[in-house]
Formats: sequence, structure tokens, C-alpha cells
Amino acid sequence: MFDSDVKKKDIFSKFDKLVERFQAVTALGKTPFGMVFEDILSPTRALVGGREIILAGTNNYLGLTYSDEVKAAARNAIDEHGTATTGSRLANGTFSEHVLLEEDLKAYFGARSAIVYTTGYQANLAAISALVGRGDHLLIDADSHACIYDGCRLSDAETIRFRHNSPDDLARRLARLPEEGSRLVVVEGLYSMLGDVAPLDEFVAVAREHGALLYVDEAHSVGCYGERGRGIAQAQGVLDQIDFLSGTFSKSFASIGGFCVSRHPEFDYTRFASRAYLFTASGSPSNMAAARAALRQIETGVDLGKILWERAHQLHSGLIAGGFTPASGPGPIIAVPRSDEMTAVREWNQLMDAGIYVNLAVPPATPHAKSLLRLSVSAAHSEEEINQILAAFCSLNG
Amino acid sequence: MKLDQASLFDEISKVLSARSHTGITITPETRIGADLEIDSVEIFDIVMELEDLYDISFPIEQASNIDTVRDLVATIRQLANV
Repeated sequence: MFDSDVKKKDIFSKFDKLVERFQAVTALGKTPFGMVFEDILSPTRALVGGREIILAGTNNYLGLTYSDEVKAAARNAIDEHGTATTGSRLANGTFSEHVLLEEDLKAYFGARSAIVYTTGYQANLAAISALVGRGDHLLIDADSHACIYDGCRLSDAETIRFRHNSPDDLARRLARLPEEGSRLVVVEGLYSMLGDVAPLDEFVAVAREHGALLYVDEAHSVGCYGERGRGIAQAQGVLDQIDFLSGTFSKSFASIGGFCVSRHPEFDYTRFASRAYLFTASGSPSNMAAARAALRQIETGVDLGKILWERAHQLHSGLIAGGFTPASGPGPIIAVPRSDEMTAVREWNQLMDAGIYVNLAVPPATPHAKSLLRLSVSAAHSEEEINQILAAFCSLNG
Repeated sequence: MKLDQASLFDEISKVLSARSHTGITITPETRIGADLEIDSVEIFDIVMELEDLYDISFPIEQASNIDTVRDLVATIRQLANV
């Protein structure tokens, strides 16, 4: 063996256990992680292996990826501004579409500052890491998404976890902190794996009492909760008390990109201090235009949120009637915990055989080492499609 | 609450034993990840438990530098200022 081959073996050997696990998961013939959709036919239909399947794991909550208005906006943006910006927002990568989208977001949320990022992941990475630094304190919900953890790592602040969705536990940990340094509490509105909702009104009160600012990631909830999709903070009556609210364009907004809005105009200063904003190319004009068009649809078009909730209730109650116990109440994310990873894998394969795609979610991506069949509901699902999803689930118990 | 070295080790060992996937006898040299097969997410949960046990703030960044039980005991002593 050449010396370079020895080094190569060393550098990749740390993946051995992961590869072993991946092979066990794919031994039944299908690949839950990285499945190829040969064609997407609609927000709820795709071709896999030459066969049409129903999509029930896309996070396409409002189904706007096939909206005529959204598609036309994206096409027009390509025609008028080209396919890419080829630069950072601080160099040549700020086009009128980025600025207009930031203005739209400010108006929609009643915010005084808004920044658009290239992806949702980068939104949290950029904003969190810029807002706090060495000597400051981050308090994050234990079930936070990986991008929140990564934002914390990049910040150099000290990160303390508190128990999931527990304002009391947050209060205890805030009380232990020294006086010095800023305090930023980071929570999500709707948690992506189990579909549970944060008591944001209670977190607002605890943060205020302990002199902390509150950052809420509403990636999964904007578009689905609150008046015209303004999110869970709005639904709980505390939108104007949230210091920073982040989200993504890759779910209800039918595009790709992320944002953070703030009631503090000074948030704009972070543009000069966010590595994930500065050192990356900005979102393409078509992505920005699609997000703007989707926002217009959410605000003024058919009330897709209402349809989404009808389908969510149909699916949730149907699962309970079929003998399943979803992890949370009805909502756009419905997770069905399974007894162990291999049971979840086997059932995921059975669902695919029945023509239903859901997400297979396993540790460490899930809280409390749960193995889940995770469904996301779309306003584009028909009642009949929900019935077909339920029939496939019921056949698992049969 | 006792915070001398020996009782700290006993208390922390008890917390780790409850989470260990191997059931081996814990010594100061035991490696938390390699020997007890406790993964990084579980270590974060243990950190929360220890914060409550000793009424301290234990930033997760510090947990990343801990390899052995001895390291963990030393970190707790430092954070609890004893």
C-alpha cells in the first residue's frame, strides 16, 4: 500500500460505523436517505422507479411550488436578471429583488429590520453567530435544529441548553448566569421532527424577566400558523415582543433562501459581521422572486393555511383511528414514533411499496433517540390523497 | 452537597452509569465516548443533569474537550469553584 493510501484509509475510517448503519438501512432494497425522484409531477406527486407515488414528506406545506404566479415570477426573474448573482451581498450580489424581498418581509411581520440569506441554514448560522460573541451567553432549547447548534459554535459565546419547551427550566438556567455579557435565548416555533409547538408567550415573559433577548426560528411555522401565516408568535399574540424571528423560503415559500427580521433597526449592522452572509454568494434572482410571489399568495391569495389545517386534522385523526399515536397534536408536521430503527426502516419500505413517500427520521437527527415515520401535510394534498396515505399506514398494522 | 474529589467521582459515576451502553466499571481513566459508548448528544444531556445536580452553568463548548471521567470531574470542580 502506498503511503497516500494509508493516509486515505485513516481519514475515511471514522465513517466506518456510519457506512455500516447506512448499509443496514438500505438492505431492504430502497434508499431512504437521498432518494432520487425521477420527476416531480405536482406538489404531492412524483415518479420513483418509474412509478407514481404520493409525497407526504416534502415540507411543501402550502404547495406553492406549482403556483402559476410563483413559477411565472421565477421565470421572469431569470429572463430579466439572469440565473445567478455570482457574488456576495456586500459586493456585487445585492439585486433589487433582494432589497424588495427584505422590504416585503418587514411589512409582513411589522419589523424594523430584515435580512435575506442564501439558505435557511445560513440565516441562523449568520444571525446567531453575529449577535453574540465571546463573554456572551446563548441559551438554546435542547431540541434545537443543527443550524442553531452550528450558529452557537461559530459565535464564540457560551452555550447553555435548557430542557425542551420548558420556560421554567430556562428561568432556572438564566438565574445561574453571571451578570456580565449579553443573553440570547434561542427557540423554535414548531419543531421539525416531532411537530410540537413552543410556548412562545411564556418564553417572552421569562426572557424579559431575566434581561435576555429572544430569538425564534419559525422555519416550519411561517405560512402555517397565525393570521395569514405570520407564524406561531403572531398566533400567540407576542409577535411584537420577539426580538429576532428567522425563517426559510424552502418550505411554505416554495423557493430557497432564509431570512431574519427584527424589531431592532440595529439588527441591520450584523450584515457587516455575519460570516455566513458575507462570505457566500447571494440567492439567485429567481429564488428571490419566487419567495416574493409566494409571500404575496400567502398574504392575499386563497387562504391555503385553512386548507392545510383541514388536511392536517384529517390525517391526524385518521392515524389515531388506525391505532397510531402521533408525537404531537394536529399540524403540518405529524410524526409517528416507531419502536426501533429497523421497524421504522421496514415500515418505511412498506409505505414506499404502497406508493407513499414519508420521511424516515432516526437518531441523532431526532430527539430522545426516537425513530420516526415523519409526515408533512400540504394544502395541495387532496382529501383522497390523505385517505390513500391513511390506508397505507393502516396496512402496516394489518 | 459534598464536593470533595472522591464524592464527586462517585456521584458523577452514578450519572454516567445510568447512561452507559457498555456496563463496564467506571474508573477515572474511563473514556466517556469510547468506553461507555455515550454519544455527543447524550453527553449534552448529562451536562444538563450535572448543571442541576451542582447548580452550575456548564457551557456545551467545554463538554467537547472532555475525554475521560477524570476530565469531567475536574471540569465540574472548576465550574463549581471548589
